[in-house]
Amino acid sequence: MFVEEIALYDRQIRLWGMATQLRLRSAKILLINLGAIGGEIIKNLVLGGLNSITILDDSKVKEEDFGAQFFLPNDESIVNQLKLPLVIEKIKELNNRVNLTIDTSSLTKVISDSQYLKQFDLIIATELDKSQLFELNSKTRELNIPLYATGGHGLNGYIITDLIKHTATSEKDVGNIPRKPDTKINRVKTITNVSYNETDKKEIITILDEYNPISEIFKSKQLPNQLNKRQMKRLSAALPLIFALFEIPKPINVEDDIDINLLKSTAISVCESFGIPSTIITEEYLNIFSKQAFTEFSPVAAIIGGTLAQDVIQFLSQKESPINNVLILDSIKSEMPIYSL
Amino acid sequence: MAKDTYLKKILGGDQYERVRNSKVLMVGAGGIGCELLKDLVLTGYGQIHIVDLDTITLSNLNRQFLFRRTDIDKSKSLTVANAVQSFNYLNTKLIPHHGNIMDSKQFPIHWWNQFDYIFNALDNLEARRHVNKMCLFLKKPLMESGTTGFEGQIQPIFPYYSECFDCQAKETPKTYPVCTIRSTPSSPVHCITWAKEFLFHQLFDEADQVGVNDAEKIAGETDDKEEQANLAKEANELIELRNSINSKDSNGFINELIEKIFKVDIERLLLIETLWKARTKPIPLPYDEYKSQLEELVNNPLSESILKNETKVWSVLENLYVLYKSSVALQTRINGGEPFITFDKDDEDTLDFVVSSANLRSSIFHIETKSKFDIKQIAGNIIPAIATTNAIISGFSCLGGTSYFKHDPKSIGQNYSSLMEDSRTVYISIRPNKYITSALLSEPNPKCASSSISRGVLEINENDLKSKSLSWLVNSLIDMYGYEEEGLSISLGQSKLIYDVDFNDNLDTILSNINGFKDGELILIQDDDDVFENLELYITVKKDQPTELPDIKLGKKIFEKEEEDEDDEEDKEDYSMEEINAGDTIIIDDGDEIELIDEEIEPAYKKRKVDN
Repeated sequence: MFVEEIALYDRQIRLWGMATQLRLRSAKILLINLGAIGGEIIKNLVLGGLNSITILDDSKVKEEDFGAQFFLPNDESIVNQLKLPLVIEKIKELNNRVNLTIDTSSLTKVISDSQYLKQFDLIIATELDKSQLFELNSKTRELNIPLYATGGHGLNGYIITDLIKHTATSEKDVGNIPRKPDTKINRVKTITNVSYNETDKKEIITILDEYNPISEIFKSKQLPNQLNKRQMKRLSAALPLIFALFEIPKPINVEDDIDINLLKSTAISVCESFGIPSTIITEEYLNIFSKQAFTEFSPVAAIIGGTLAQDVIQFLSQKESPINNVLILDSIKSEMPIYSL
Repeated sequence: MAKDTYLKKILGGDQYERVRNSKVLMVGAGGIGCELLKDLVLTGYGQIHIVDLDTITLSNLNRQFLFRRTDIDKSKSLTVANAVQSFNYLNTKLIPHHGNIMDSKQFPIHWWNQFDYIFNALDNLEARRHVNKMCLFLKKPLMESGTTGFEGQIQPIFPYYSECFDCQAKETPKTYPVCTIRSTPSSPVHCITWAKEFLFHQLFDEADQVGVNDAEKIAGETDDKEEQANLAKEANELIELRNSINSKDSNGFINELIEKIFKVDIERLLLIETLWKARTKPIPLPYDEYKSQLEELVNNPLSESILKNETKVWSVLENLYVLYKSSVALQTRINGGEPFITFDKDDEDTLDFVVSSANLRSSIFHIETKSKFDIKQIAGNIIPAIATTNAIISGFSCLGGTSYFKHDPKSIGQNYSSLMEDSRTVYISIRPNKYITSALLSEPNPKCASSSISRGVLEINENDLKSKSLSWLVNSLIDMYGYEEEGLSISLGQSKLIYDVDFNDNLDTILSNINGFKDGELILIQDDDDVFENLELYITVKKDQPTELPDIKLGKKIFEKEEEDEDDEEDKEDYSMEEINAGDTIIIDDGDEIELIDEEIEPAYKKRKVDN
């Protein structure tokens, strides 16, 4: 790496090391849709020094985009124009070492195009609806490409991952009992290799994470095995409500709320399907979600986009396990639980 | 449909309106500041003041996304205020101030009073303490935040209702015994400390006799008279060497430096046999063997490339070369008229000198040598920082601060009890089953010197300041707060006593004639009868208003209670609780099904389960 480059990335190389920085520098990523969360993700990844990122988005600027999308020029006359050509220069300014490409083809066109998708080491999809997400995931599975999916609803948001398989190797302190290879930590994590660093008295552990297809996640029955009674009772209503909103179309008029009864009945069937008590769905959460569904909020986009970009770096660094496989942000209760569904 | 449709849906009409009409202060425009300002502007805040004293450097650009290469050396506060205009869709009014937040001339107490809410985005303890104190004086709500690498936290502070910044002791930097640094180093950090704080400091910086050359400190650590005498001798010779910088040519100075430091001093150290009974003996640098090679390197202009390779671990010869080059540069600067040179990680001459001399010492003591890149971090106290952690923490800071406006500030006044339940401190703590940990706010620590004290602003008319005596002030305090005359004592600033029952020399002195009694200073009033709690007043001088003492009802002094009833905590709820060893923060945590592997890698967290 050049002296200049090391100086630019100084404060992060000191954290994750040169090897990770080189891995970032060779990764090619596709980002689907550039809304508020997409904007945060692209900012963080471009600053971090990825090799190349293609942004796919055929949308036109809408008035509500001025809420939380900070790459848009401050000019209302751009409403109804294609978004990407208006923002790309501003994104490039963040770091000219990253190769940025914009693509305004429709998702429908590329979603089944293996040749297109095969160019990328990793795909990040934001704000997809359920059928798009399932279709894309069946393709990424087939092509063996790790996929992150994310979205937000006002104060709440989610990250869903299907990274297929991931191995992470890192040094850990030795515990009371030495770790052994081929130990299953839980349903999705296995210790595959253990060696010993004599000088630092540390164990070098390799952990294999296995991922489920996203369609399986939606049908998961794993929560009752994962949570004890008390945790089940305290489960955030954001979990079933976020999954319920995959079953309900986004209102055409952004000022409209989601019908609260529809939201409630859908969330109850999500609870039944997951095997969790529907009593966790409170009036407070129903009101918040019916109003805030599909809305964008800058601080929430920053938290979700920051977490996702950090996890992508984690994934590429191969040092620690990435999120496996659903993260929920509930900023009403200030919680970010991760479930393996 | 409008630009703020989403904000209205999320915040609701009333809260959004309050945010639109609010005036807030953001202190710091660096890693957290850039991210936070973006969030605040996009949340529609009415007016934001931004204070920062710093300018932009290259190593900021990997995370401080509002800055560009062309902004390097420009003011951070002025640059961010301009940069956000490109997305200032809701016309937030931005008012930048380039300056030090601790400067009471630029930022006097009445300036602080204009803000509804204060966001800290700082990177140092001193400024954080200052802002914390100002917020305590004015009872302003404050959002504290900080990040280090992958870790970060936010802490909402409601003065006198929740813990303040000073309620929990903060970690202080690690120090090493002088003898370890000077005689028996055993790790790279010992040699780096020696190179920076002893060798470099004694040779080039402003002279003083403290720290690693403190005879008293040394005497406190070792009874070995031989070692004590040797350390004193070493240091005296170094002072002689310093005095000869001006009179010697480069070759002479540097040869003498290397001979003394890496050969003669080590040989003398070896004579103190008690030191080496249980330690491996150091091997003095065989300088003669390197002399001709070093001369070759110095005479070859291509050798300059060695200096560029910051991530390589240099050989002994390469370190000698770097020491030679940096010593020449430093000597030239001293001879050119710089009275002294202070170590600065971004001053390459000083860094190269410290890196090479630390490495040479390491190799003498059989300690692993390190690259310039690695030594810079230790010598320069560099804290790793990344965009993503800052983005996450700023998001929580904005959310927490914005939730203050759920309530009508006018009806709350400064009674924050209703806000305590809604607010959370948040820590990033990445585990397989959760990403953050949050906790209810704790009550102020009764032992905290900042929280367990009453505060107010003493507004004093300029004419009174110039005409009234201290006895007038004493009587006013007695009248206002009910002190007994015998028990009252007044100190000015940090500790200067100006009045108590046995020290009444100043009673007839006009206030403005008491040294230090002026605008922006603090006076501390203590009740030696131990009835009333301490009172700290901030002096502010007004031209057109009558003198006014703050309307405060002083509480009774709290004495340290017996151990609190342990059952208290169990009543709270059926959460399991954890204690972070840095303080006594109680963390609500429902993730007690942490997997085996996760528990083991976090020894910093002590677990304590509470029976349900």
